[in-house]
Amino acid sequence: MADLRIASIARGKKISFSVNGKFYDAYEGEFLHAALLAAGYRMLRKTAKKNQPRGIFCGMGVCNDCLVTINGVSNQRACMTLVEDQMEIQLDE
Amino acid sequence: MNKPYRIVIVGSGLAGMAAADLLSRYGLHVLVADDNAHTGGQLLRKALYTEKGQGRFKTDWVKRHGFKLAERLKQSSIQILNGTQVLGIYPEHSILLETPDGRTSEHRADAIILATGAREKQIPFKGWSLPGVMATGAAQILMKSSGILPGRKTLIGGNSPLMLVLAAEILANRGHVQAVLDQSTIAGKLKSVAAQPSVIPKIIEAVAFFARLVAARVPYKQGLSIVEARGSNQLEEVVVARLDNTGSIIQGTGQIFPTDTLAVGYGFVPNIELSQQAGCAVSYDVDKGGWYVEVSNTMTTSVNNIYAVGEVNGIAGGGKSLVDGQIAAWDLLCKQGIVDLKTCKKQIQPLIRQRNRQLRYGRFLNRFCQLPPHSFASIPDGVTVCRCEEITMGDIRKQLSNGLATMNSIKRATRCGMGNCQARTCGPILSEIISALAEKPPTAIGCTSARAPVKAVSIDSLARMNSDNSDVGNTGNLV
Repeated sequence: MADLRIASIARGKKISFSVNGKFYDAYEGEFLHAALLAAGYRMLRKTAKKNQPRGIFCGMGVCNDCLVTINGVSNQRACMTLVEDQMEIQLDE
Repeated sequence: MNKPYRIVIVGSGLAGMAAADLLSRYGLHVLVADDNAHTGGQLLRKALYTEKGQGRFKTDWVKRHGFKLAERLKQSSIQILNGTQVLGIYPEHSILLETPDGRTSEHRADAIILATGAREKQIPFKGWSLPGVMATGAAQILMKSSGILPGRKTLIGGNSPLMLVLAAEILANRGHVQAVLDQSTIAGKLKSVAAQPSVIPKIIEAVAFFARLVAARVPYKQGLSIVEARGSNQLEEVVVARLDNTGSIIQGTGQIFPTDTLAVGYGFVPNIELSQQAGCAVSYDVDKGGWYVEVSNTMTTSVNNIYAVGEVNGIAGGGKSLVDGQIAAWDLLCKQGIVDLKTCKKQIQPLIRQRNRQLRYGRFLNRFCQLPPHSFASIPDGVTVCRCEEITMGDIRKQLSNGLATMNSIKRATRCGMGNCQARTCGPILSEIISALAEKPPTAIGCTSARAPVKAVSIDSLARMNSDNSDVGNTGNLV
Protein backbone atom coordinates (compact mmCIF):
# COMPACT_ATOMS: atom_id res chain seq x y z
CA MET A 1 0.00 0.00 0.00
CA ALA A 2 1.22 3.49 -0.82
CA ASP A 3 2.27 5.62 2.13
CA LEU A 4 -0.86 7.02 3.74
CA ARG A 5 1.04 9.39 6.06
CA ILE A 6 0.32 13.01 5.16
CA ALA A 7 3.65 14.50 4.12
CA SER A 8 3.06 18.02 5.45
CA ILE A 9 2.58 16.86 9.04
CA ALA A 10 5.56 16.96 11.39
CA ARG A 11 5.65 13.67 13.29
CA GLY A 12 6.74 12.60 16.73
CA LYS A 13 9.64 10.29 17.49
CA LYS A 14 9.98 7.27 15.22
CA ILE A 15 9.09 4.09 17.07
CA SER A 16 8.62 0.44 16.25
CA PHE A 17 5.71 -1.88 16.97
CA SER A 18 4.93 -5.43 15.93
CA VAL A 19 1.89 -7.06 14.36
CA ASN A 20 1.75 -10.85 14.64
CA GLY A 21 5.53 -10.82 15.08
CA LYS A 22 6.34 -8.53 12.12
CA PHE A 23 7.85 -5.12 12.91
CA TYR A 24 6.64 -1.77 11.52
CA ASP A 25 7.57 1.86 11.98
CA ALA A 26 5.16 4.29 13.57
CA TYR A 27 5.45 7.72 15.16
CA GLU A 28 4.69 8.84 18.68
CA GLY A 29 1.31 10.51 18.89
CA GLU A 30 -0.34 8.27 16.30
CA PHE A 31 -3.32 6.21 17.35
CA LEU A 32 -2.92 2.46 17.00
CA HIS A 33 -5.73 2.02 14.44
CA ALA A 34 -4.09 4.65 12.24
CA ALA A 35 -0.63 3.11 12.63
CA LEU A 36 -2.10 -0.29 11.68
CA LEU A 37 -3.81 1.23 8.64
CA ALA A 38 -0.54 2.88 7.57
CA ALA A 39 1.20 -0.49 7.99
CA GLY A 40 -1.33 -1.99 5.55
CA TYR A 41 -3.70 -3.71 8.00
CA ARG A 42 -7.32 -3.01 7.18
CA MET A 43 -8.80 -6.18 8.62
CA LEU A 44 -8.22 -6.21 12.37
CA ARG A 45 -10.27 -9.21 13.48
CA LYS A 46 -12.95 -11.71 12.53
CA THR A 47 -16.26 -11.94 14.36
CA ALA A 48 -16.93 -14.81 16.74
CA LYS A 49 -20.36 -15.75 15.38
CA LYS A 50 -20.13 -15.49 11.61
CA ASN A 51 -16.36 -15.19 11.10
CA GLN A 52 -16.75 -11.86 9.32
CA PRO A 53 -13.82 -9.46 8.78
CA ARG A 54 -13.85 -6.17 10.71
CA GLY A 55 -11.71 -3.06 10.71
CA ILE A 56 -11.97 0.62 11.54
CA PHE A 57 -15.57 1.84 11.54
CA CYS A 58 -16.50 4.68 13.91
CA GLY A 59 -12.91 5.62 14.79
CA MET A 60 -14.07 7.21 18.04
CA GLY A 61 -14.48 4.42 20.56
CA VAL A 62 -18.18 3.79 20.01
CA CYS A 63 -18.59 0.73 17.79
CA ASN A 64 -16.04 -1.73 19.23
CA ASP A 65 -15.23 -3.05 15.75
CA CYS A 66 -11.48 -2.38 15.99
CA LEU A 67 -10.86 -4.67 18.98
CA VAL A 68 -7.31 -6.06 18.96
CA THR A 69 -4.94 -7.81 21.37
CA ILE A 70 -2.37 -5.37 22.76
CA ASN A 71 0.60 -6.76 24.70
CA GLY A 72 -1.38 -9.90 25.42
CA VAL A 73 -4.54 -8.12 26.60
CA SER A 74 -7.44 -8.96 24.29
CA ASN A 75 -10.42 -6.85 23.18
CA GLN A 76 -8.75 -3.43 23.30
CA ARG A 77 -10.07 -0.60 21.13
CA ALA A 78 -7.26 0.26 18.72
CA CYS A 79 -8.82 3.64 17.93
CA MET A 80 -8.63 4.75 21.58
CA THR A 81 -5.05 3.62 22.14
CA LEU A 82 -1.91 5.59 21.30
CA VAL A 83 0.73 3.44 19.63
CA GLU A 84 3.81 2.89 21.81
CA ASP A 85 7.36 1.76 21.15
CA GLN A 86 7.71 -2.05 21.21
CA MET A 87 3.94 -2.54 21.44
CA GLU A 88 2.97 -6.09 20.45
CA ILE A 89 -0.25 -6.43 18.50
CA GLN A 90 -2.01 -9.67 17.73
CA LEU A 91 -4.59 -9.67 14.92
CA ASP A 92 -6.83 -12.44 13.58
CA GLU A 93 -5.52 -13.73 10.23
CA MET B 1 -16.60 18.08 58.95
CA ASN B 2 -16.71 20.39 55.99
CA LYS B 3 -16.12 18.41 52.82
CA PRO B 4 -15.42 20.50 49.71
CA TYR B 5 -18.12 20.61 47.08
CA ARG B 6 -17.20 18.19 44.30
CA ILE B 7 -18.23 18.47 40.69
CA VAL B 8 -17.62 15.72 38.18
CA ILE B 9 -17.87 16.55 34.48
CA VAL B 10 -18.20 13.66 32.05
CA GLY B 11 -16.71 14.59 28.69
CA SER B 12 -14.02 17.12 27.85
CA GLY B 13 -15.45 18.36 24.58
CA LEU B 14 -16.46 21.98 24.11
CA ALA B 15 -19.43 21.80 26.52
CA GLY B 16 -17.49 20.04 29.27
CA MET B 17 -14.50 22.36 28.89
CA ALA B 18 -16.66 25.50 28.95
CA ALA B 19 -18.30 24.39 32.21
CA ALA B 20 -15.02 23.27 33.81
CA ASP B 21 -13.28 26.52 32.89
CA LEU B 22 -15.93 28.76 34.44
CA LEU B 23 -16.35 26.66 37.61
CA SER B 24 -12.63 26.48 38.27
CA ARG B 25 -12.24 30.23 37.81
CA TYR B 26 -14.57 30.56 40.83
CA GLY B 27 -12.43 28.14 42.81
CA LEU B 28 -14.65 25.06 42.68
CA HIS B 29 -13.15 21.58 42.65
CA VAL B 30 -13.70 20.00 39.29
CA LEU B 31 -12.85 16.54 38.02
CA VAL B 32 -13.23 15.90 34.30
CA ALA B 33 -13.39 12.32 33.01
CA ASP B 34 -13.03 11.62 29.30
CA ASP B 35 -12.80 8.36 27.39
CA ASN B 36 -10.41 9.90 24.87
CA ALA B 37 -6.63 10.17 25.13
CA HIS B 38 -6.80 13.90 24.42
CA THR B 39 -8.87 16.71 25.84
CA GLY B 40 -11.12 18.62 23.44
CA GLY B 41 -13.72 16.17 22.19
CA GLN B 42 -14.50 15.21 18.63
CA LEU B 43 -14.43 18.75 17.24
CA LEU B 44 -10.85 19.51 18.25
CA ARG B 45 -9.35 16.03 17.97
CA LYS B 46 -5.83 16.92 19.03
CA ALA B 47 -3.90 19.95 17.97
CA LEU B 48 -2.42 18.71 14.72
CA TYR B 49 -3.62 21.84 13.03
CA THR B 50 -2.83 24.41 15.69
CA GLU B 51 0.88 24.47 14.98
CA LYS B 52 2.55 25.63 11.81
CA GLY B 53 3.05 23.08 9.08
CA GLN B 54 0.77 20.56 10.74
CA GLY B 55 -1.57 19.53 7.99
CA ARG B 56 -4.36 21.54 6.48
CA PHE B 57 -7.67 21.54 8.27
CA LYS B 58 -10.46 24.01 8.54
CA THR B 59 -10.65 26.01 11.75
CA ASP B 60 -13.42 28.39 12.69
CA TRP B 61 -14.02 30.59 15.75
CA VAL B 62 -15.60 27.72 17.68
CA LYS B 63 -12.52 25.54 17.26
CA ARG B 64 -10.11 28.38 17.93
CA HIS B 65 -12.00 29.13 21.12
CA GLY B 66 -11.95 25.41 21.96
CA PHE B 67 -8.17 25.22 21.62
CA LYS B 68 -7.82 28.24 23.92
CA LEU B 69 -10.06 26.53 26.48
CA ALA B 70 -8.08 23.28 26.27
CA GLU B 71 -4.86 25.20 26.85
CA ARG B 72 -6.33 27.09 29.84
CA LEU B 73 -7.62 23.84 31.36
CA LYS B 74 -4.17 22.32 31.06
CA GLN B 75 -2.73 25.26 33.05
CA SER B 76 -5.49 25.16 35.68
CA SER B 77 -5.94 23.08 38.83
CA ILE B 78 -8.70 21.06 37.19
CA GLN B 79 -8.05 17.35 37.33
CA ILE B 80 -8.59 15.82 33.90
CA LEU B 81 -8.69 12.05 33.61
CA ASN B 82 -8.13 11.08 29.98
CA GLY B 83 -8.66 7.54 28.79
CA THR B 84 -11.23 7.12 31.54
CA GLN B 85 -14.61 5.49 31.02
CA VAL B 86 -17.58 6.36 33.18
CA LEU B 87 -19.40 3.08 33.69
CA GLY B 88 -22.36 4.24 35.72
CA ILE B 89 -23.94 6.81 38.00
CA TYR B 90 -25.72 5.54 41.12
CA PRO B 91 -28.02 7.15 43.67
CA GLU B 92 -26.39 9.80 45.90
CA HIS B 93 -24.26 10.63 42.82
CA SER B 94 -21.77 7.88 43.25
CA ILE B 95 -19.83 7.49 40.00
CA LEU B 96 -18.08 4.37 38.78
CA LEU B 97 -14.95 5.06 36.70
CA GLU B 98 -12.47 2.89 34.86
CA THR B 99 -9.06 4.54 34.61
CA PRO B 100 -6.44 3.67 31.96
CA ASP B 101 -4.52 1.58 34.51
CA GLY B 102 -7.36 -0.93 34.17
CA ARG B 103 -8.92 -0.29 37.57
CA THR B 104 -12.43 0.70 38.48
CA SER B 105 -13.18 3.03 41.35
CA GLU B 106 -16.21 4.66 42.89
CA HIS B 107 -16.45 8.38 43.61
CA ARG B 108 -18.86 10.71 45.26
CA ALA B 109 -19.97 13.89 43.50
CA ASP B 110 -22.22 16.67 44.74
CA ALA B 111 -23.09 17.68 41.20
CA ILE B 112 -22.56 16.02 37.85
CA ILE B 113 -22.40 17.65 34.44
CA LEU B 114 -22.96 15.22 31.59
CA ALA B 115 -21.26 16.40 28.39
CA THR B 116 -21.08 13.10 26.54
CA GLY B 117 -21.44 14.48 23.04
CA ALA B 118 -22.71 12.77 19.93
CA ARG B 119 -21.87 10.06 17.44
CA GLU B 120 -22.57 9.51 13.77
CA LYS B 121 -25.78 8.05 12.49
CA GLN B 122 -25.62 5.29 9.91
CA ILE B 123 -27.94 3.26 7.71
CA PRO B 124 -27.02 -0.37 7.02
CA PHE B 125 -26.35 -1.69 3.49
CA LYS B 126 -24.94 -4.97 2.29
CA GLY B 127 -21.25 -5.20 3.25
CA TRP B 128 -21.21 -2.13 5.53
CA SER B 129 -19.13 -4.04 8.10
CA LEU B 130 -16.34 -4.76 5.61
CA PRO B 131 -12.93 -3.27 6.55
CA GLY B 132 -12.46 -0.15 4.46
CA VAL B 133 -16.04 1.04 5.00
CA MET B 134 -15.94 3.65 7.73
CA ALA B 135 -17.82 6.61 9.16
CA THR B 136 -17.03 10.03 7.66
CA GLY B 137 -15.93 11.07 11.15
CA ALA B 138 -13.55 8.11 11.36
CA ALA B 139 -11.87 9.24 8.15
CA GLN B 140 -11.51 12.79 9.53
CA ILE B 141 -10.14 11.51 12.83
CA LEU B 142 -7.48 9.41 11.06
CA MET B 143 -6.18 12.57 9.41
CA LYS B 144 -6.64 15.03 12.27
CA SER B 145 -5.42 12.92 15.17
CA SER B 146 -2.83 10.76 13.45
CA GLY B 147 -2.03 12.53 10.17
CA ILE B 148 -2.92 9.44 8.16
CA LEU B 149 -5.15 9.41 5.07
CA PRO B 150 -8.13 7.01 5.25
CA GLY B 151 -7.13 5.30 2.00
CA ARG B 152 -5.38 5.61 -1.34
CA LYS B 153 -8.63 6.77 -2.82
CA THR B 154 -11.75 7.53 -0.86
CA LEU B 155 -15.32 7.32 -2.05
CA ILE B 156 -17.65 9.44 0.08
CA GLY B 157 -21.35 8.65 0.46
CA GLY B 158 -24.41 9.25 2.63
CA ASN B 159 -26.16 12.53 3.31
CA SER B 160 -24.10 14.06 6.11
CA PRO B 161 -22.85 17.65 6.04
CA LEU B 162 -19.47 16.11 6.92
CA MET B 163 -19.19 14.67 3.39
CA LEU B 164 -18.08 17.95 1.82
CA VAL B 165 -15.84 18.84 4.78
CA LEU B 166 -14.14 15.44 4.57
CA ALA B 167 -13.66 15.71 0.81
CA ALA B 168 -12.08 19.15 1.19
CA GLU B 169 -9.78 17.94 3.97
CA ILE B 170 -8.59 14.91 2.01
CA LEU B 171 -7.85 17.11 -1.02
CA ALA B 172 -6.09 19.77 1.08
CA ASN B 173 -3.84 17.06 2.51
CA ARG B 174 -3.01 15.70 -0.93
CA GLY B 175 -5.19 12.64 -0.78
CA HIS B 176 -7.45 11.35 -3.54
CA VAL B 177 -11.24 11.64 -3.46
CA GLN B 178 -12.93 9.38 -5.97
CA ALA B 179 -16.39 10.93 -5.85
CA VAL B 180 -18.93 12.40 -3.45
CA LEU B 181 -22.28 10.63 -3.70
CA ASP B 182 -25.11 12.43 -1.95
CA GLN B 183 -28.08 10.18 -1.25
CA SER B 184 -30.47 13.10 -1.16
CA THR B 185 -30.86 15.87 -3.68
CA ILE B 186 -30.25 19.56 -3.03
CA ALA B 187 -33.78 20.29 -4.27
CA GLY B 188 -35.19 17.75 -1.82
CA LYS B 189 -33.19 19.21 1.03
CA LEU B 190 -34.29 22.75 0.34
CA LYS B 191 -37.88 21.61 0.20
CA SER B 192 -37.71 19.91 3.58
CA VAL B 193 -35.91 22.75 5.27
CA ALA B 194 -37.34 26.20 5.79
CA ALA B 195 -34.24 28.27 5.09
CA GLN B 196 -33.31 30.62 7.93
CA PRO B 197 -30.84 33.46 8.29
CA SER B 198 -28.88 31.47 10.89
CA VAL B 199 -27.87 28.86 8.31
CA ILE B 200 -26.65 31.23 5.60
CA PRO B 201 -23.00 31.16 6.81
CA LYS B 202 -23.12 27.34 6.68
CA ILE B 203 -24.50 27.42 3.15
CA ILE B 204 -21.70 29.78 2.12
CA GLU B 205 -19.23 27.36 3.72
CA ALA B 206 -20.75 24.45 1.79
CA VAL B 207 -20.43 26.41 -1.46
CA ALA B 208 -16.73 27.00 -0.70
CA PHE B 209 -16.18 23.29 -0.12
CA PHE B 210 -18.10 22.55 -3.27
CA ALA B 211 -15.85 24.88 -5.26
CA ARG B 212 -12.84 22.87 -4.09
CA LEU B 213 -14.41 19.67 -5.38
CA VAL B 214 -14.99 21.28 -8.74
CA ALA B 215 -11.42 22.59 -8.86
CA ALA B 216 -10.07 19.10 -8.13
CA ARG B 217 -12.44 17.58 -10.69
CA VAL B 218 -14.06 15.33 -8.09
CA PRO B 219 -17.48 14.17 -9.32
CA TYR B 220 -20.41 15.16 -7.07
CA LYS B 221 -23.60 13.19 -7.71
CA GLN B 222 -27.01 13.47 -6.15
CA GLY B 223 -29.71 10.94 -5.39
CA LEU B 224 -27.34 7.97 -5.34
CA SER B 225 -27.56 5.38 -2.55
CA ILE B 226 -24.90 2.91 -1.49
CA VAL B 227 -26.27 -0.51 -2.44
CA GLU B 228 -23.40 -2.84 -1.59
CA ALA B 229 -19.78 -2.87 -0.45
CA ARG B 230 -17.89 -5.82 -1.90
CA GLY B 231 -14.57 -7.47 -1.18
CA SER B 232 -13.18 -10.65 0.34
CA ASN B 233 -11.50 -9.51 3.55
CA GLN B 234 -11.52 -5.82 2.78
CA LEU B 235 -13.32 -3.36 0.54
CA GLU B 236 -12.63 -3.71 -3.18
CA GLU B 237 -15.64 -2.11 -4.85
CA VAL B 238 -18.84 -0.25 -4.08
CA VAL B 239 -22.14 -0.61 -5.93
CA VAL B 240 -24.28 2.52 -6.03
CA ALA B 241 -27.60 3.25 -7.70
CA ARG B 242 -30.76 5.30 -7.62
CA LEU B 243 -33.37 3.45 -5.57
CA ASP B 244 -37.14 3.58 -5.75
CA ASN B 245 -39.36 3.70 -2.64
CA THR B 246 -39.19 -0.07 -2.23
CA GLY B 247 -35.40 -0.05 -2.24
CA SER B 248 -35.18 -1.57 -5.71
CA ILE B 249 -32.54 -0.32 -8.11
CA ILE B 250 -34.00 1.91 -10.80
CA GLN B 251 -32.88 0.22 -13.99
CA GLY B 252 -29.89 1.71 -15.70
CA THR B 253 -28.73 3.76 -12.69
CA GLY B 254 -26.34 1.22 -11.16
CA GLN B 255 -22.63 2.01 -11.07
CA ILE B 256 -19.58 0.24 -9.65
CA PHE B 257 -16.71 2.17 -8.05
CA PRO B 258 -13.49 0.20 -7.44
CA THR B 259 -12.05 1.62 -4.19
CA ASP B 260 -10.29 0.67 -0.94
CA THR B 261 -12.14 3.18 1.22
CA LEU B 262 -15.76 4.23 1.55
CA ALA B 263 -16.60 6.94 4.08
CA VAL B 264 -20.30 7.18 4.93
CA GLY B 265 -22.41 9.23 7.31
CA TYR B 266 -26.03 10.20 7.81
CA GLY B 267 -25.93 12.88 10.48
CA PHE B 268 -25.58 12.64 14.24
CA VAL B 269 -27.29 11.27 17.34
CA PRO B 270 -26.79 12.33 20.98
CA ASN B 271 -24.86 9.99 23.30
CA ILE B 272 -27.64 9.64 25.88
CA GLU B 273 -26.75 6.23 27.41
CA LEU B 274 -25.05 7.44 30.60
CA SER B 275 -27.76 10.05 31.23
CA GLN B 276 -30.43 7.42 30.72
CA GLN B 277 -28.69 5.04 33.10
CA ALA B 278 -28.50 7.83 35.68
CA GLY B 279 -32.27 8.18 35.43
CA CYS B 280 -32.48 11.43 33.44
CA ALA B 281 -35.66 11.79 31.39
CA VAL B 282 -35.15 11.45 27.63
CA SER B 283 -37.37 12.37 24.74
CA TYR B 284 -37.47 12.14 20.93
CA ASP B 285 -37.34 15.00 18.46
CA VAL B 286 -36.20 14.84 14.84
CA ASP B 287 -35.05 18.46 15.16
CA LYS B 288 -32.65 17.44 17.94
CA GLY B 289 -31.20 14.39 16.17
CA GLY B 290 -33.50 11.75 17.68
CA TRP B 291 -33.48 10.68 21.34
CA TYR B 292 -32.01 13.41 23.55
CA VAL B 293 -31.77 14.26 27.25
CA GLU B 294 -34.44 16.70 28.43
CA VAL B 295 -33.08 19.84 30.06
CA SER B 296 -34.46 23.04 31.55
CA ASN B 297 -33.39 26.56 30.54
CA THR B 298 -30.49 26.19 32.97
CA MET B 299 -29.41 22.74 31.67
CA THR B 300 -30.71 20.79 34.68
CA THR B 301 -32.06 17.30 33.94
CA SER B 302 -34.93 15.53 35.70
CA VAL B 303 -32.43 14.23 38.28
CA ASN B 304 -31.42 16.56 41.07
CA ASN B 305 -27.95 18.12 40.62
CA ILE B 306 -27.32 16.43 37.30
CA TYR B 307 -26.87 18.69 34.29
CA ALA B 308 -26.70 17.71 30.62
CA VAL B 309 -24.86 20.05 28.25
CA GLY B 310 -23.89 20.12 24.58
CA GLU B 311 -24.92 17.64 21.91
CA VAL B 312 -26.41 15.21 24.47
CA ASN B 313 -29.43 17.51 24.90
CA GLY B 314 -29.86 18.10 21.16
CA ILE B 315 -27.53 18.15 18.16
CA ALA B 316 -26.70 21.71 17.13
CA GLY B 317 -22.91 21.94 16.81
CA GLY B 318 -20.03 23.28 18.85
CA GLY B 319 -21.38 26.81 19.30
CA LYS B 320 -24.29 25.53 21.36
CA SER B 321 -21.97 23.28 23.37
CA LEU B 322 -19.87 26.27 24.46
CA VAL B 323 -23.01 28.13 25.53
CA ASP B 324 -24.59 25.14 27.32
CA GLY B 325 -21.49 24.53 29.42
CA GLN B 326 -21.45 28.14 30.59
CA ILE B 327 -25.17 28.16 31.44
CA ALA B 328 -24.82 25.04 33.61
CA ALA B 329 -21.77 26.50 35.34
CA TRP B 330 -23.55 29.81 36.14
CA ASP B 331 -26.54 27.91 37.52
CA LEU B 332 -24.29 25.81 39.74
CA LEU B 333 -22.38 28.87 40.94
CA CYS B 334 -25.67 30.53 41.82
CA LYS B 335 -26.99 27.48 43.69
CA GLN B 336 -23.75 27.28 45.65
CA GLY B 337 -24.16 30.93 46.65
CA ILE B 338 -20.90 31.88 44.94
CA VAL B 339 -22.60 34.36 42.63
CA ASP B 340 -25.90 36.05 43.48
CA LEU B 341 -29.10 35.38 41.60
CA LYS B 342 -29.08 38.78 39.90
CA THR B 343 -25.58 38.30 38.45
CA CYS B 344 -26.43 34.77 37.44
CA LYS B 345 -29.56 35.87 35.56
CA LYS B 346 -27.66 38.66 33.86
CA GLN B 347 -25.07 36.15 32.65
CA ILE B 348 -27.50 33.43 31.62
CA GLN B 349 -30.07 35.47 29.70
CA PRO B 350 -27.89 36.43 26.71
CA LEU B 351 -26.56 32.87 26.62
CA ILE B 352 -30.10 31.50 26.36
CA ARG B 353 -30.77 33.84 23.43
CA GLN B 354 -27.61 32.55 21.69
CA ARG B 355 -28.70 29.00 22.45
CA ASN B 356 -32.09 29.51 20.84
CA ARG B 357 -30.40 30.71 17.67
CA GLN B 358 -28.12 27.66 17.70
CA LEU B 359 -31.07 25.33 18.23
CA ARG B 360 -32.61 26.76 15.07
CA TYR B 361 -29.39 25.92 13.23
CA GLY B 362 -29.53 22.44 14.79
CA ARG B 363 -33.05 22.00 13.47
CA PHE B 364 -31.80 22.76 9.98
CA LEU B 365 -28.82 20.42 10.36
CA ASN B 366 -30.86 17.51 11.67
CA ARG B 367 -33.62 17.85 9.09
CA PHE B 368 -30.97 18.10 6.40
CA CYS B 369 -29.84 14.56 7.30
CA GLN B 370 -33.26 13.03 7.91
CA LEU B 371 -33.86 9.98 5.71
CA PRO B 372 -37.41 9.05 4.66
CA PRO B 373 -38.98 6.00 6.43
CA HIS B 374 -38.84 3.90 3.26
CA SER B 375 -35.01 4.02 3.37
CA PHE B 376 -35.22 1.95 6.55
CA ALA B 377 -38.27 -0.14 5.63
CA SER B 378 -36.58 -1.32 2.43
CA ILE B 379 -33.31 -2.64 3.94
CA PRO B 380 -32.88 -6.17 2.45
CA ASP B 381 -33.28 -9.20 4.77
CA GLY B 382 -29.68 -10.35 4.46
CA VAL B 383 -28.17 -7.06 5.68
CA THR B 384 -26.61 -7.00 9.16
CA VAL B 385 -28.22 -4.39 11.39
CA CYS B 386 -26.54 -5.11 14.74
CA ARG B 387 -22.83 -5.36 13.95
CA CYS B 388 -21.83 -6.69 17.39
CA GLU B 389 -24.34 -9.53 17.65
CA GLU B 390 -24.61 -9.96 13.86
CA ILE B 391 -28.39 -9.67 13.75
CA THR B 392 -29.89 -9.18 10.29
CA MET B 393 -32.80 -7.19 8.96
CA GLY B 394 -34.50 -10.56 8.33
CA ASP B 395 -34.21 -11.44 12.05
CA ILE B 396 -35.90 -8.15 12.93
CA ARG B 397 -38.66 -8.47 10.27
CA LYS B 398 -39.45 -11.94 11.62
CA GLN B 399 -40.06 -10.63 15.14
CA LEU B 400 -42.09 -7.70 13.80
CA SER B 401 -44.30 -10.16 11.94
CA ASN B 402 -44.65 -12.05 15.24
CA GLY B 403 -46.29 -8.91 16.58
CA LEU B 404 -43.42 -7.33 18.51
CA ALA B 405 -43.10 -3.59 17.91
CA THR B 406 -41.10 -1.98 20.72
CA MET B 407 -37.35 -1.41 21.03
CA ASN B 408 -36.97 -3.50 24.16
CA SER B 409 -39.09 -6.43 22.96
CA ILE B 410 -37.21 -6.68 19.64
CA LYS B 411 -33.93 -6.33 21.52
CA ARG B 412 -34.83 -9.19 23.88
CA ALA B 413 -36.14 -11.41 21.08
CA THR B 414 -33.21 -10.93 18.68
CA ARG B 415 -30.26 -9.70 20.84
CA CYS B 416 -30.10 -6.67 18.49
CA GLY B 417 -28.26 -4.03 20.53
CA MET B 418 -27.00 -6.37 23.25
CA GLY B 419 -23.37 -6.60 22.11
CA ASN B 420 -20.19 -4.73 22.97
CA CYS B 421 -21.31 -1.33 21.76
CA GLN B 422 -24.56 -1.58 23.74
CA ALA B 423 -26.78 -0.48 20.85
CA ARG B 424 -24.79 2.70 20.23
CA THR B 425 -24.51 1.90 16.52
CA CYS B 426 -27.69 -0.06 15.81
CA GLY B 427 -30.02 1.48 18.42
CA PRO B 428 -30.92 4.63 16.48
CA ILE B 429 -31.19 2.51 13.30
CA LEU B 430 -33.47 -0.06 14.95
CA SER B 431 -35.69 2.76 16.19
CA GLU B 432 -36.12 4.04 12.61
CA ILE B 433 -36.66 0.52 11.25
CA ILE B 434 -39.41 -0.38 13.72
CA SER B 435 -40.97 3.04 13.34
CA ALA B 436 -41.07 2.67 9.55
CA LEU B 437 -42.30 -0.92 9.45
CA ALA B 438 -44.81 -0.67 12.31
CA GLU B 439 -45.84 2.81 11.14
CA LYS B 440 -45.60 4.20 14.65
CA PRO B 441 -43.73 7.26 15.94
CA PRO B 442 -40.41 6.51 17.75
CA THR B 443 -41.96 7.64 21.04
CA ALA B 444 -44.51 4.80 20.78
CA ILE B 445 -41.70 2.28 20.24
CA GLY B 446 -39.61 3.53 23.11
CA CYS B 447 -35.89 3.77 23.62
CA THR B 448 -33.70 0.81 24.61
CA SER B 449 -32.95 0.89 28.31
CA ALA B 450 -29.38 1.56 29.42
CA ARG B 451 -27.87 -0.21 32.41
CA ALA B 452 -24.50 0.00 34.12
CA PRO B 453 -21.86 -0.68 33.07
CA VAL B 454 -22.80 1.50 30.10
CA LYS B 455 -19.38 0.89 28.50
CA ALA B 456 -17.63 -2.43 27.91
CA VAL B 457 -15.39 -3.22 30.87
CA SER B 458 -13.36 -6.33 31.70
CA ILE B 459 -14.24 -8.52 34.68
CA ASP B 460 -10.60 -8.17 35.68
CA SER B 461 -11.01 -4.43 35.87
CA LEU B 462 -14.17 -4.71 37.98
CA ALA B 463 -12.50 -7.26 40.25
CA ARG B 464 -9.68 -4.80 40.93
CA MET B 465 -12.13 -2.22 42.18
CA ASN B 466 -10.62 0.54 44.24
CA SER B 467 -12.72 0.77 47.41
CA ASP B 468 -11.15 4.02 48.60
CA ASN B 469 -13.49 6.51 47.07
CA SER B 470 -11.30 9.54 47.42
CA ASP B 471 -8.55 8.28 45.11
CA VAL B 472 -8.77 7.99 41.38
CA GLY B 473 -6.57 5.20 40.13
CA ASN B 474 -3.00 6.26 40.66
CA THR B 475 -3.51 9.83 39.59
CA GLY B 476 -3.68 11.24 43.08
CA ASN B 477 -6.32 12.71 45.32
CA LEU B 478 -9.53 14.10 43.97
CA VAL B 479 -9.49 17.06 46.35
